[in-house]
Amino acid sequence: MGHLRRPRTGAALLGRRRALSAPAAAGPLVRLLSDRLADAASDLWTDEDTVEIQVPRDKIVDSLRTLRDDADFGFFFLADAAAVDYGVGNWFEVVYHLYSDRHPTWLRVRVKVDRENPVTPTITSLWEGAMFHEREMYDMMGIVFEGNRDLRRIYMSPDYRSFPQRKDFLLPDDAADSAAAGNRPLERPETWDLSKLEDAAAHRDEPGGPV
Amino acid sequence: MTTTRSRPGPEQPSEEPRIPDPIALDAMATAAPRQEFFGFDIVPPPDRPPQTEREMEVYTLGDGEMLVNMGPQHPSTHGVMRLVLKVRGEVVIDIDPVLGYLHRGIEKLCEEATYTTVLTYVDPMDYMSAMHNEHAPAIAFEKLYGIKAPPRAEYIRALVVELNRVFSHGLMMGFLALDIGGLTPILYGFINRDEVVEMLAAISGQRMLFNFFRVGGVNFDTNDEFMSRLGRWRANVLDTIEMNEKILTENEIFRARTRGMGTLSGKQAIDLGVSGPNLRASGVPFDVRKAHPYCIYDQLEFDVITQPEGDTYARYMQRVAELKQSIHLIDQIVDKMPHGPVQAQVPGIIRPRPGRAYAAIESPRGLYSVYAISDGGPNPYRFRMRDPSFISLQSMPKLLPGHLIADTMAIMASLDPIMGGVDK
Repeated sequence: MGHLRRPRTGAALLGRRRALSAPAAAGPLVRLLSDRLADAASDLWTDEDTVEIQVPRDKIVDSLRTLRDDADFGFFFLADAAAVDYGVGNWFEVVYHLYSDRHPTWLRVRVKVDRENPVTPTITSLWEGAMFHEREMYDMMGIVFEGNRDLRRIYMSPDYRSFPQRKDFLLPDDAADSAAAGNRPLERPETWDLSKLEDAAAHRDEPGGPV
Repeated sequence: MTTTRSRPGPEQPSEEPRIPDPIALDAMATAAPRQEFFGFDIVPPPDRPPQTEREMEVYTLGDGEMLVNMGPQHPSTHGVMRLVLKVRGEVVIDIDPVLGYLHRGIEKLCEEATYTTVLTYVDPMDYMSAMHNEHAPAIAFEKLYGIKAPPRAEYIRALVVELNRVFSHGLMMGFLALDIGGLTPILYGFINRDEVVEMLAAISGQRMLFNFFRVGGVNFDTNDEFMSRLGRWRANVLDTIEMNEKILTENEIFRARTRGMGTLSGKQAIDLGVSGPNLRASGVPFDVRKAHPYCIYDQLEFDVITQPEGDTYARYMQRVAELKQSIHLIDQIVDKMPHGPVQAQVPGIIRPRPGRAYAAIESPRGLYSVYAISDGGPNPYRFRMRDPSFISLQSMPKLLPGHLIADTMAIMASLDPIMGGVDK
């Protein structure tokens, strides 16, 4: 079993490291964004390999079109589109990740969507491949994409009536929060039948008794 | 969890329900009994009014057209999926993939799990490339936590994911032949696959769902059994592949069944979000290992392979070329592997600072990415996985029309979708 043990020698030398500033490589993209998308992009933030902007809902299609078609941006590939629920009373967010072969970082575009009236424009006119992403977001979060030709449920059956990835949708076995909390038999010792246990304990030391 | 949660209240009926009442649907469904025709289910128009423009387009039948269900348990659908084919005679006109038969809600489960246990939940997603499934979350969580895996751990990671790619691509060759009607290549594919799987079992302790990656490293260092199995496999793997390739690549029937079938242009492929070998087979040199080098791929020598044609045969040739490339990469990794620890020091329960991280890797099926959000608690606030085969399936309605029903298998097998990943 010796070879199965993790060697930990020297592991203490590997301290926690976190890139606190934007890598120099992201500089040209940051300049371009503040240059050409100044009226749309806000909250610019960079990570070790991601540049992030926030775009208002009504400008998202135009901004993404600029990012895709402008030769200096060249974000031709939609890597991911996902929805995030920030909880009841807050908002939804649709997050697009884009890839360009001209920039060494990913670009993350965040769009805030109202939680009470979750409607946002579709981007299937830009990338047809956003269709399954948007259908999944509709299915899981209930975000409606205006102008999408095929906004059906994709995983759940068509007659399903809830949106399972919202934060106020609880899993049935989430014992801490669900209606079943505290009602499980193991948590009510007064219902336990302990007589057999006591019986066994009384006879434990006898030869041939329960072990 | 720092988030406040409330019990779900009773559903408020809205003025215009988007989805019709299920009881009314049941009544409609029983009113129109299904017809049967020589074992085929003839699908009646859906038991409810079409909800969308596209659904109307698919389910409206013209003269001499009919709908045929392929699946959900057709052996060629690589899992449980239903394709609704609209056919005229034997020619496919339109197609509507129906997904969700394997949906397990892994994203939701992962949001309830701690960062360490998330890595066990993602394994059964794309069960042909479980190592890749663990790789992306591991990178994302390391970014969130601000830690780096030790160099030896990075090399072991690269080694196991390339081994996983070898068996995934090797099996794809077999499955493609199987769907066309050749039984032998799948058996040869499984010879190779079993050797790799036993090797990975020697290092991780599991045969299919490895649970090998950890936040900040890997679970075990290499051991003698793994290394000796690797050496024995490496000595004859090229012969096994060549044996398999000889049956297929120059085979007249195989070429007739695959050349010019399901051609996807590079522009179309980008538009549809197709990635990985399928995209490169259409001539687009996009490989995450080169585009955004993660792990140790910036220290390895390899080129992005592409094929110009974009048809089923090109996608097959792309897999073969990448298989050989992976073996070349494995040689380099084993050569350069440094000594040292394989696990950085991390606490049992990780609580990263609030933040967001995106990690993308190149899985055998394409761009597999994870977007994780931390709120400072012990489990991810949001855990999003982008599965490449799910997105690649969108190209089916573009690839199939005009081909025969029998060719749908070949075209679909060339995309290499795995339903465990598609349905999450």
